[in-house]
Amino acid sequence: MSGDNGRFATGVPGLDAILGGGVFDGGIYIIQGAPGAGKTILGNQICFAQAAQGRNALYITLLAESHARMIGHMRRMTFFDEAAIPDRMSYVGAFKTLEDDGLRGLLDVVRREVRTRKASILVLDGLITVHEKARSELELKKFIHELQTQAAFSNCTMFLLTSAFDADAHPPEHTMVDGLIELQSSLHGRRAERSLQVHKLRGSWFMGGKHAYRITENGHAIYPRIEALLETPSVWDSADGPMVSVGIGGVDKMLGGGVDTHSVTVVLGPSGSGKTTAGLQFLTGGPASEPAMLFGFHENPMSLRIKADSLKLPLKSRGDKVTLMWRPQTEAVLDEVATELLSTIRQNGVRRLVIDGIEGFSKLTDEKERIGSFLSALCNELRALGVTTLATAETDHAGMTPGQPLKGVNQTGLSAVAENIIALHLAALRSENHRLMTILKSRDRRTDMRMRRFEILDGGIVLDANFQSAERILRDISSQGPAPTPSTDLKLTGE
Amino acid sequence: MRTVLIVEDEWAIADWLEVLLSEYAFNVLVAGNGREALDILHRDTPDLVLTDFMMPFLDGAGLIAAMGQDERLRSIPVVVMTSLLEHVVRDRAGHFRAYLRKPFREADLMKIIGEIFPDEA
Repeated sequence: MSGDNGRFATGVPGLDAILGGGVFDGGIYIIQGAPGAGKTILGNQICFAQAAQGRNALYITLLAESHARMIGHMRRMTFFDEAAIPDRMSYVGAFKTLEDDGLRGLLDVVRREVRTRKASILVLDGLITVHEKARSELELKKFIHELQTQAAFSNCTMFLLTSAFDADAHPPEHTMVDGLIELQSSLHGRRAERSLQVHKLRGSWFMGGKHAYRITENGHAIYPRIEALLETPSVWDSADGPMVSVGIGGVDKMLGGGVDTHSVTVVLGPSGSGKTTAGLQFLTGGPASEPAMLFGFHENPMSLRIKADSLKLPLKSRGDKVTLMWRPQTEAVLDEVATELLSTIRQNGVRRLVIDGIEGFSKLTDEKERIGSFLSALCNELRALGVTTLATAETDHAGMTPGQPLKGVNQTGLSAVAENIIALHLAALRSENHRLMTILKSRDRRTDMRMRRFEILDGGIVLDANFQSAERILRDISSQGPAPTPSTDLKLTGE
Repeated sequence: MRTVLIVEDEWAIADWLEVLLSEYAFNVLVAGNGREALDILHRDTPDLVLTDFMMPFLDGAGLIAAMGQDERLRSIPVVVMTSLLEHVVRDRAGHFRAYLRKPFREADLMKIIGEIFPDEA
């Protein structure tokens, strides 16, 4: 229903956030997009959402698919409500009227039907046909102007659907309407990605730029760009409280007692170095009553449970206090994944989060330049939600440069998002591979930055009591000669 | 030759029905909504009315009600063609002879017409 400010939410997930709170009562909006962009579904979705609120919606078609076919398609959508038709949602055709009586005849149909049906939402599907029927630009402008007058006097919000769009042209109706929403589809390699862009919204701030959307059996779901949505976190961060254990005793000690509550810690290292094990220890390292979650792109929940069992970590006993969320990188959309992640965190009251493979986010988009600000916004929101996060990041599998054990470990893009950075290394010494760990960064804390050797045993990562074993390994590597490939490069920023 | 009045706001459906029924040797009249249909009914008395339900100006329920109040038109059989469920239409409209769920096929329509005019079948 309408709010006190004279506007109402469309009910389309994500759209109202982009519109700064919805559309205005009695406003007139153009929704445009190429055939197949989903204009008809969006128009119906808005109508049924309003009908569900007790308002009356009217859908007028010109040269569009038949009502029977349209209703047949909409029946498959979860928002469709057969009981709403014809009292709260009705369909009428007006092409013949337009053809016989011109734009004036169509205006008569709109005026009469809106009044008779007490419609507060109108969708006019096929504005391009009106465009083609208009004998002059002036006649089209007069049509839009009269429609605006009708919309205002009847307090009926109107959506005009059209397939016409030329980014360089400025059709007269664009300057006259209250809002202009465009649905687009673009190819990235062989993958098609849909995006929505609001070009204009009178009387309100709106979220500019393109936002990904999907069409499923639930209709449209639009995913505002995370860095735009969370330009500032949704709530104020209150980073106080006791220090949080990372679940690995020796590491807590090296960090001076653990990590700050609501902080972000990145554990980076090559495949097989123990990152996911560290993540599972962090996941199960808090109080049993504390909601925790592991979000990952690679290992599915079954695989993680088996891994935790084999490490004798108490994942199973945490029951529903631990959420395992797996999103393969197949056809996922960056902002969709982040939206689902944040939504699950809010829903479950998660306080301890593992992101297994934070570099996976960059593989979900071709717009690599976004990733820095995306991660920054995401991590700021996690802090604001009171979540303490441990994220793993994979580096290339390479040996150590003798005498320069940290050479090539690229922290670019991580410092801005992480208070703490822990590096895991695989050090090949003759026929043996050793695991080593060092703390590269710990914000505002006295840290033991000396390297430690560690093993993965029952219970997870176990650090040697002191740095001397690591020292011996590094000395021996220096004496055995250079490693074959001296670079480990974390590809977070997409360079 | 029997006369059928088609009342349909979707021009493509109206056109298709007009051609189809002409091929079956009906005399066909076409109206774009209930109001246009009443205009036609003031001067013509068709043997059958095929009407859509949701239409501008005057819908199927309004047309059926108006026909019911006119002694000359009351006995004309009416077939409602709509995407709506039959009970939804029956709850909102007075008496009509038959219901045809859209989208329908030629055979569905001709079966109903055959039942109304058995001699023509």
